[in-house]
Amino acid sequence: MLRLVIQRLLALVPLLFIVSVLTFSFTSLLPADPADLIVGQQGTPEQYAAVRERLGLNDPIVTRYVHWVDRALHGDLGTSFFNSVKVTDAVMQRLPVTVSLTVVAALIAIIVGLAAGIAAALKPRSLVDRFATLGATFGQAVPNFWFGLLLAAIFAVGLHWFPATGFTPITQSPWGWLRSVTLPAFALGLASSAAIARQVRSSMVGVLQQDYIRAARAQGLSRRRVIFKHALKNALVPVAAVLSFQITVLLGGALIVEQVFAINGLGTLAITAVRRQDIPMIQGLVLVMVGLVVIVQLATDLIYGYLNPKARPS
Amino acid sequence: MSVQSETPRRTASPASRARRGSFYVVTVPSIAVLLTLVVLAFGAGWINPYDPLKQDLIHAMQGPSAAHWLGTDDLGRDVLSRLIVGCRIAVIAAAEATSIAMILGVPLGLYIGYRGGWWDWVVMRIVEAIMSIPGIMVAIVIIAILGLGLHRAMIALGILFSTSFLRLARGVVLTEREEIYVRSARVIGASDSRILLRHIFPNIAPPLIVQTTLTVGAVLLAEAGLSFIGLGVQPPDASWGTMLNTAASYMELDWFLAIPPGIAIVLTVLSVNLLGDTLRDTIGRGITVGVNPAIPVARFDAAESNAEAGPRSAPRRDDVLCVESLQVVVSTAGGEVPVVTDLSFSVGRGETLGLVGESGSGKTITGLAILGLIGTAGRSTHGAITLNGRELRGVGQKQMEAIRGNEVAMVFQDPTTSLNPAFTVGDQIAEVLRTKKGMSRQEAWARTIELIDRVGIPRPAERAKAYPHELSGGMAQRIAIARALSCNPSLLIADEPTTALDVTVQQEILDLFRDLQEEFGMAILFVTHDLAVAADVCDRIAVMYAGEIIEVAPVGDLFARPLHPYTAGLLSASPHEAGRNPPLPTIRGSVPRPGSWPAGCRFSDRCAYTQAQCEMRIPLAETGQRMVRCTRAAELNLRADK
Repeated sequence: MLRLVIQRLLALVPLLFIVSVLTFSFTSLLPADPADLIVGQQGTPEQYAAVRERLGLNDPIVTRYVHWVDRALHGDLGTSFFNSVKVTDAVMQRLPVTVSLTVVAALIAIIVGLAAGIAAALKPRSLVDRFATLGATFGQAVPNFWFGLLLAAIFAVGLHWFPATGFTPITQSPWGWLRSVTLPAFALGLASSAAIARQVRSSMVGVLQQDYIRAARAQGLSRRRVIFKHALKNALVPVAAVLSFQITVLLGGALIVEQVFAINGLGTLAITAVRRQDIPMIQGLVLVMVGLVVIVQLATDLIYGYLNPKARPS
Repeated sequence: MSVQSETPRRTASPASRARRGSFYVVTVPSIAVLLTLVVLAFGAGWINPYDPLKQDLIHAMQGPSAAHWLGTDDLGRDVLSRLIVGCRIAVIAAAEATSIAMILGVPLGLYIGYRGGWWDWVVMRIVEAIMSIPGIMVAIVIIAILGLGLHRAMIALGILFSTSFLRLARGVVLTEREEIYVRSARVIGASDSRILLRHIFPNIAPPLIVQTTLTVGAVLLAEAGLSFIGLGVQPPDASWGTMLNTAASYMELDWFLAIPPGIAIVLTVLSVNLLGDTLRDTIGRGITVGVNPAIPVARFDAAESNAEAGPRSAPRRDDVLCVESLQVVVSTAGGEVPVVTDLSFSVGRGETLGLVGESGSGKTITGLAILGLIGTAGRSTHGAITLNGRELRGVGQKQMEAIRGNEVAMVFQDPTTSLNPAFTVGDQIAEVLRTKKGMSRQEAWARTIELIDRVGIPRPAERAKAYPHELSGGMAQRIAIARALSCNPSLLIADEPTTALDVTVQQEILDLFRDLQEEFGMAILFVTHDLAVAADVCDRIAVMYAGEIIEVAPVGDLFARPLHPYTAGLLSASPHEAGRNPPLPTIRGSVPRPGSWPAGCRFSDRCAYTQAQCEMRIPLAETGQRMVRCTRAAELNLRADK
């Protein structure tokens, strides 16, 4: 397992390098001149020149990139052009919000997806299977933000079971957190649970036809044990890859679903930054997102290695 | 074996009919929805009842009425008109983003796939980097560079989705590049661009069509999302996403505003996705719906075949297994087809009975029928299976699970597929000991290592921790045998246990069976197509042909004097009996498939001795220790041709 972790970590180095170059050079393509934005209409040419010097805009692009990476490695992602807030602070303040929404949505997607996929696979072409397949097809066609609106209309505005807007940190009140995160997480998780259910169904149907399943049954192991131990572990191998991709999708979807429930997470930060062309903020957000995705990929790689002995380095 | 492999194919027939049925149920409405969308998009100017931008604050936020079928929004604008304009936006958005994605992705993917090397490496690392950022974030960054608005947002989505087209095109090139026709084109001096366009590109078309539909669905959802958060279509222009943005602000006042645009999005995306699924299924499977011809079904009457059953001796006292007039059917499109009929045999304690026959004769399904594991496609319709004096047919699932492993176990043909790849081999044996024998973890593990040692594997403690893929075929089969014997069953069913193994290993495994039988004293039902193998390990042999037993005899007698022409044919065709020259004689024709058996003697159409009486059903006649199903057995003086 340790070898797998090291192998995976080494593979991340070129990825992170390319992402940082992409992020840096793309945001350097922004049409706005940062110094112009900061100084504003009333600024004098002297002030303008001073800001350019302070931001290092007169340096060659490679020097700027190296400085930016160096500071980023020390946890400093720069300062917003608009309100002199540290990017790192702004991002870190909202990160728990978006991450907790994504994690709960992922849990819902995994539980619902597994249950529906397995139930459908056990009786192919049965009523359960048709219902699950239909549900999965619908689930992938429903926009998460619209589903969120419907959930809010029914369970918050109509029934008052959950708050319609806002987010309570888990540190402040675990119960309040659960109430505030439930509706957005269901809205976000629907499409992913559909995708997972489809994958679970198809790989489970394939695995159940394998010789080793019949052999385990011939050995007198119970149906339940054969399905949930012998078949499931094999069926989850392709699901791990889908899961890794789906969590990335969930993280992106969270940015939009946050808007429905007026949750002040990374989504609002990103949208405001784009509207204001706030370069350091956009760069910082992208890097943090990639960092999260990389952690998820690392985790799913380890799960993959656990599920599939052939994938382990020997 | 072939009965097994044929079963899914033939039972696929009703399924494929169902698939063809759902094909129309799914595609016709999908195409109708998309056609409506396109008509509304192009005809919006004429169809619209109102100007979608015209405000009427006095009549704002009204529900559906005769004047405004879908009501009015916060500024008194007609929702229906805005919805129809939204169709136009959706079509433009999907067309724009998808074509940009395709135009960027396909040529680049073709190029780097074909050239390979440094270009390929760099571009693929960039693609990976983009794919490790959530898609919506990539779009947001690109929009930050390009600015707000529908077309810029669509360029952003086009760039984002070009990565999937790029990977698709590259993948096709990588597989096609080494195909012989491409290499020969290169040899005769075709230019690179000509090879790419003329030879490789046509192969991309089918997956490209599927990818395009999937992308259209994703673009529609992404466009709505971007417009919803205010980075796509800008107010006051109407798109489904901006309409939902408005609806979100007034959710508490008028929830109905959210309904029409939401349903429009869901219906459109659903139709596109369903169409994509159908295309993927049909293109992927080569459109083989409904090709299988119906199999002629021989009608079998239970009572009739009972009456045909020949004389049968009373079960011997020391019989471990006794099968009597067993019939097994599998369900197909044309109804249930019998694959095993009037099957009777018995195996005594410490005895090895060989069940010999060609592929498709029903040997394997007989073994599975004893275990009650035929599956959903088939079932045993009548007869009796008595194991240790207990009737197995009709036993409940729980009881059957207790019997399997403890009283009867099975070793399968291919050890590399009959062991679970996800668990160590030791785990798989110890699990049986724990669940069936109630042993503790330590006890079970110790016993597992003893068993692995017993089946002749060196360094058992170490090998117990190996996964199946780390073992050779012969060693994996020894593990499978150890697992089957772990609960000391009184009957072991071995289904072609040496067929998948290397010839040099076969003999070792056969010797192992003999040794283990001496030690454990179990009865063995040894299923094989190879008479020489059967002769090596069996005491008696039952020859099967087309779902029934045609001859049973002790090994020596069978080889010395076969009574059935088919047995004689099999013996002649066996390489161990015939010299190298002249070439092996063969039996003309092949085993008839279930459902197309001759009405009388099932071998009659391949037999050299057929007479008029062979058109009748022939009972299994018993003489002393031997049984034969041939009316001319007594008069023919058969022997294997040498």
